Amino acid sequence: MIMTAIRRYCLGVHALVAFIGNSVSYLMPVLAFVVAFEVFSRYILDSPTIWAYDTSLFIFGYIAALGGAYAQQQRAHINVDILYNKVSARTKSIFNLFSFALAMFFMVIVCKMSIGKFEEALEFNYRRQSEWAPHVHHYWLMMAIASVLLILQLSSDWIDSLYQAITGKPLLPTAPTEQEETAP
Amino acid sequence: MISIELLTGILFACIIASFALGAPVGLALGGIAMGIGYMTWGDALFNVIPTTLESTHFSFILLAIPLYIYMGQLLTRSGIGDAMFSASQMLIGRVRGSLAISVIVVCSMIGAMVGIIGAGIMTSGSIALRPMLERGYDKRLALGVIMAGGGLGILIPPSIPMIMFASSTQNSVGRMFIGALIPALITIVLLIAYVVISCKLNPKRAPMDVVPEVLPTPKEKFLTARDGLLSLLLIVAVLGSIIMGIATPTESGAIGVVGAIVLAIFFKRFKPRMVQKAGMQAALLVSVAMWIIVGASVFSNFHLLMGVQNMVAGFTQDLGLPPIVVIMLFQLIMLLLGFIIDEFIIVLMCAPIFTPIAVSLGYDPIWFGILMILNIEIAVQTPPYGFALFYLKGIAPPGITMLDIYKSILPFVLLKLFVLVIVMMFPELVTWLPNQLMDG
Amino acid sequence: HAADYNWRFANLYSRGSAFGAVYEDLAKNIETMSDGRIKVQVLYDGEGVGSSGIFGAVKTGLITMGATFQSLNAGELPAGLVEIGLPGGTSDVGELTTLFQQKGWAPILKKAYGEQGLVWLDPYIQPAVYVITKEPINSIEDFEGLKIRAPGAYGKFLRNLGASPVSLAWSEIYTSLSTGVIDGSIGSNMIDHRDGNHVEVAKYMYPLPLAGAQVLPIIVNQSAWNKLPADLKAIVKAATTVHAQEQMTKSKLWESEAVADMEAKGLQWSPEPSAADKAAWKDAGSKLWDEYAAADKYSKELIDVLRKEQK
Ligand code: NA
Ligand code: NA
Repeated sequence: MIMTAIRRYCLGVHALVAFIGNSVSYLMPVLAFVVAFEVFSRYILDSPTIWAYDTSLFIFGYIAALGGAYAQQQRAHINVDILYNKVSARTKSIFNLFSFALAMFFMVIVCKMSIGKFEEALEFNYRRQSEWAPHVHHYWLMMAIASVLLILQLSSDWIDSLYQAITGKPLLPTAPTEQEETAP
Repeated sequence: MISIELLTGILFACIIASFALGAPVGLALGGIAMGIGYMTWGDALFNVIPTTLESTHFSFILLAIPLYIYMGQLLTRSGIGDAMFSASQMLIGRVRGSLAISVIVVCSMIGAMVGIIGAGIMTSGSIALRPMLERGYDKRLALGVIMAGGGLGILIPPSIPMIMFASSTQNSVGRMFIGALIPALITIVLLIAYVVISCKLNPKRAPMDVVPEVLPTPKEKFLTARDGLLSLLLIVAVLGSIIMGIATPTESGAIGVVGAIVLAIFFKRFKPRMVQKAGMQAALLVSVAMWIIVGASVFSNFHLLMGVQNMVAGFTQDLGLPPIVVIMLFQLIMLLLGFIIDEFIIVLMCAPIFTPIAVSLGYDPIWFGILMILNIEIAVQTPPYGFALFYLKGIAPPGITMLDIYKSILPFVLLKLFVLVIVMMFPELVTWLPNQLMDG
Repeated sequence: HAADYNWRFANLYSRGSAFGAVYEDLAKNIETMSDGRIKVQVLYDGEGVGSSGIFGAVKTGLITMGATFQSLNAGELPAGLVEIGLPGGTSDVGELTTLFQQKGWAPILKKAYGEQGLVWLDPYIQPAVYVITKEPINSIEDFEGLKIRAPGAYGKFLRNLGASPVSLAWSEIYTSLSTGVIDGSIGSNMIDHRDGNHVEVAKYMYPLPLAGAQVLPIIVNQSAWNKLPADLKAIVKAATTVHAQEQMTKSKLWESEAVADMEAKGLQWSPEPSAADKAAWKDAGSKLWDEYAAADKYSKELIDVLRKEQK
């Protein structure tokens, strides 16, 4: 009964994080387009935009932060796997209990600070220092959401590792690691 | 208050422990800094996070990373990258290791486009790693070539660390850019020589392409040449956009993306799914790279706020050693700093502390700056901790372990150390060309 | 013996720069004058906080004291832009001092900073902002269509003259001037132009400054400040007053040294502007006043004081 609930929680987190991770990837072409447009506008039309600089930085930040949870799901975050690759699956999951807890600790602080900055940005109407001066509150809200997603994914992976450390079997039917497929 | 020496020791021990456990590098560094920081400083330290996030996500210089990664992904997934290598191999002919040689040449051209290490390695890795592995190249050779070639981004102008060095020590950027050319050329020639020699000695490292049963028809040859030429044209176009003042080195990545899409359409390889897959993989890599930069910057910012720079400054004062020993000591300190701090901060921190001392000992500041750049290039790729190592791990296929990467770089690091030493012994390698080309 | 108060003092300049040394002096003065009761650790650009992060870091208390460049914080404290000196403003030191101390700018700014948990200490004056271009500017019409790297308020000012402001990272200015992505760039002062090696790739300095003099504050975290006893507060204030003097005398000297250095490397001045050009220049600046007054209440209060002056 309780195992089913936990399993559902983990699967739910997986689905949510995968959805966000997929959605963020559509920002890649947008980012390239914005920067290319600035070059076009400045060089061909002789009129640099006032918005492309900040817009490209915001998109960059969104991709960088929001993709973090999906990268965790895909185990794409870089680790030094020298000892890690030599130990049994069960020892690996014990190692994971430490590392994921450490990562969660960091992300909880990032989340707390981002929420604080979000409130501050609203209170004082913070903007970028450029001529265009766009609001920055959405960036901090996004950072808070990105942190929550990463915490959720880490918590799900932590539970998975705990289960595996105790039972020796993975919690979820198939660990979704279709990391890289060959190009066409 | 805890002494900075003790703190540095504790931090280093924590890094080693978390690395041994296989923790995600960026998040672990952030967690360690916050944990130790909380115990030594208190929760006021947590405020380092917002300023660090702003300075990494709102850095226009780092924007080169997503743009170039995306370009690399589009090139490799559309097959344009392959066309480039097939054609350049045809050009070089049937030499063992010819693919690795063309990778070095392409990496040098990429180095001339980008000004930071991350963009260089991740672009080169995207387009050149898979072709080498698929043709049965020894994975260590393949990884090492990418690492060595991709790192050229800061040695071949334009180079952001050189601009930072020149400004913080009041030296000429132009002189640095020109002064770097001969050391860069030596590095490239040595890399190619190493590939040729090591493949001769150990032919298994680089299998020859099987001679096809039916020799390619002139028409097939022509198509390979045409496709390769067109894709090389893309690199020329991106470089040209920088040289002709159309775009800055950062922005030129976006030109590369547009060019890659145009070429894919031309080659009839443009499929929405391909673009989406390339975007997916690029976004994942960007996120991985940026979470490392964020975590590592949180870590180093904490360390700097606690005063590690004063430890270095204090250490180098009144050494009373022979000049060349002082220079060597500086090189050693920077290599050690490469364990914990990224390329920009090493320049910001060490250039102003070391350069005046080097100049007072009678050395040329431009020469010293180039030594620093060569040194940083090595520092970021020596184990256990180095951004270049992490970037390469990020771009490598799942089967490649960190140990593979550590082992792969050894000969190349030795080679770069050799360049460092000869530049140290013969300062004319740096100073001669700028004196010929620039007056005064 | 251990200090009663351990302060971290971040400034926007890099280690080893001439300005950095002045901040080092301020830190030493505070230590000496307080007889070691306050210990001040100086942090330069990038040493834990970047120059644009100083404002936020002092606000949260990560850094106790900061010397920041208000253009970088225009989005957080818009009045800082007016404080620094809007394009076309005065460069007369005496006039500026009266403006702050007698005409009422100081109380307004104390309130504006106070609202964000910051104590505003003595302002200090830094040299003017100039624009360097690849081609000489013979008359003000030559600005038409020029792509000039100029952030924020300076960008708006140049737009009023018909130029096209461009946003670029500082470390890309050199390459961009050299390849022609941009036709010119402003520098925060002459020293910045020299350190950025801009004269290697652009030869002409326009004689009129965009802002005659720049006024920058020293800020302290409010709660750290409140912890100080009255005598130490007075000592810190006295030290910053000495610092403001040192900034003023030394920055004049350094500015002329920087100009001499650049002239030795081939810097030339665009021809002396005509009276009409000077008027157009001033006009481009004053157009910004309304815009800034409308954007923020403290900016409005500051600009109202200026307006009263003009009548
Ligand atoms: Na480069
Ligand atoms: Na290293």
